[in-house]
Amino acid sequence: MVEMILQAKSICKSFSNGKNKLSVLSDFSLDVKSGQIITIMGQSGSGKSTALNIIGTLDHPDSGDIILNEKNIQSLDESELSVLRNRDIGFVFQFHHLLPEFSALENVLMPQWINGKDGDNLRATSLFEKMDLSNRISHLPSQLSGGERSRVAVIRALMNQPRLLLADEPTGNLDEKNANKLIDLLCEINEDFQQAIVLTTHNPHVAKIGHKQYILENGSLSE
Amino acid sequence: MNWENIVSKRFSNSSQKQGRILGRFSMVGMGVGCFAMIVSLSVMNGFESLVHEKLKGVEGDIRIVGQIDEAELIEISGVDEIMPYMERRGVIENGNDRRVVSLKAVDIQKMATFYTFPIRGKSPLVGEVVMGQDLAYRLGKDVGDDLMIYSPIDQSFGFGLPPKMKMTISGIFSTRVLDYDDRYVYLSLEDGNKLFSRKTGLDGIDIRIASNTIISSVKSKLVDEFGHQVKIQSWEDLNKSLVDAMKMERLGTIVILSLIFLVAAFNLVASLSLISIQKIKEVGILKAMGASPISIQKIMIRLGLSRAGKGAAYGFCFGVILVFLQNMFEFIPIPSDIYFISALPMVLSPKDYFIVILISFIIILIASFISGRKLSQTNIKDALLWSK
Repeated sequence: MVEMILQAKSICKSFSNGKNKLSVLSDFSLDVKSGQIITIMGQSGSGKSTALNIIGTLDHPDSGDIILNEKNIQSLDESELSVLRNRDIGFVFQFHHLLPEFSALENVLMPQWINGKDGDNLRATSLFEKMDLSNRISHLPSQLSGGERSRVAVIRALMNQPRLLLADEPTGNLDEKNANKLIDLLCEINEDFQQAIVLTTHNPHVAKIGHKQYILENGSLSE
Repeated sequence: MNWENIVSKRFSNSSQKQGRILGRFSMVGMGVGCFAMIVSLSVMNGFESLVHEKLKGVEGDIRIVGQIDEAELIEISGVDEIMPYMERRGVIENGNDRRVVSLKAVDIQKMATFYTFPIRGKSPLVGEVVMGQDLAYRLGKDVGDDLMIYSPIDQSFGFGLPPKMKMTISGIFSTRVLDYDDRYVYLSLEDGNKLFSRKTGLDGIDIRIASNTIISSVKSKLVDEFGHQVKIQSWEDLNKSLVDAMKMERLGTIVILSLIFLVAAFNLVASLSLISIQKIKEVGILKAMGASPISIQKIMIRLGLSRAGKGAAYGFCFGVILVFLQNMFEFIPIPSDIYFISALPMVLSPKDYFIVILISFIIILIASFISGRKLSQTNIKDALLWSK
């Protein structure tokens, strides 16, 4: 049975700059079911990252509802949101955002540590193997290439087996070869783990992997 | 998995030069504060115990005013020695010179063991007295000299003259406590009975307790046993104003030295705030992975404890070592003609350890909390966009 994971209903978000008010999202709605890859395309500044930040509870909408795992996240306090982010959402950022003080393995285990677990070394090692990074486990992020860092970020996002993986322009900072490698990897993850993925990009080739492909224009989505 | 500990350690190790320098300042500040407080409190304790020993030497630990059975008293556990006494205001006549003094008649057999003040000469026998050195100096008397003493209120008849006794000075004592050396004259109970003709028995009993730590518990026992018939006072009750002054002085010292901690705390806040700015992006990443604001607070508190706490621990240890070495080798001298001892007295009590640890811990905790609060409330999105 296909399960509803996320419903974003009529999300509005605007930013103020002095007296000027810039509306970024207006009536943004999105449904994500398990096993689905959703791609959102749009030009720079169209609001892709803002939409992903709001879906991922990193930012608050001005209005609208986000229902994640049948919970309306507007009603959750900061500590409940932290738990939700840790257990149900995995993030892959454009600039990987790995912790520079920690090795690749430690970065990957961090979400489990935060979850109060000792860290599943076995799972981490097998994911490193799957991503062809076995020989990079003890390296610091500064000792990894851009592509390797992105793949470590993907492993980190998957460690707690989240319901939803959010990837904000994951290939935006990579060369074509590494970008293709990463996209293949995300498709593989989607097939192997029935992982729901929401991915933003401005690259039409990347957008093609989506079961549903949207374009973000004037603050709302169109297919 | 105590991940907050690991993160705080890595943050501390990887903080940039400025943060490390400020961190060292806060560490040194806390260390100096702890050291100063330990040393000051131990010196104050040393002098307090010295004063106690001196007072104990002339008054005992507990005084019972009234008459009770001595045999019953000595049975109470903790009571080491007792000294029955009679006390009266009296007058010493030296030619035309008269001086009002406190005449204290005591059991002369026990005098040498019960009172610990040094006597030049010897303890009195019947017909002899020992007096304080200041009094002897004022009267121009020395060991072996005679004088006349009497108690003005002990007249034989309503309008008669009180009995006068010619006594020989067998010794001159020096307590250097309060005005004892200028006021007290000790004589035997036999002579006291003759001089204080209107008294019907003893005035009370001075008691020495086996250990200083059990004085209050023994006092409570005595109050339970004899409190209904006599007045029972510890050395602290007898010298309340002096003890209160010492307590006030101790409190003042603690408050003033806490200001060193406060200055160190400002350093700590500055150092942690700098780390907060340097690590804001990492905090954003941690929060995006699900770290709660409380966890971020914990990381900052651990950082504070690892920096300033380390300094406080060093200061504490150096302070304790100094006290230990001073007690062992007495290498810090003080003028013995002023303080009656040749080396700086230092005594540390468990209560002081607790006070110093508590004050430093609370100040570190508050400083870390203040710097961590803002960081824990950082907006994740802004933190991730932060560039150093």
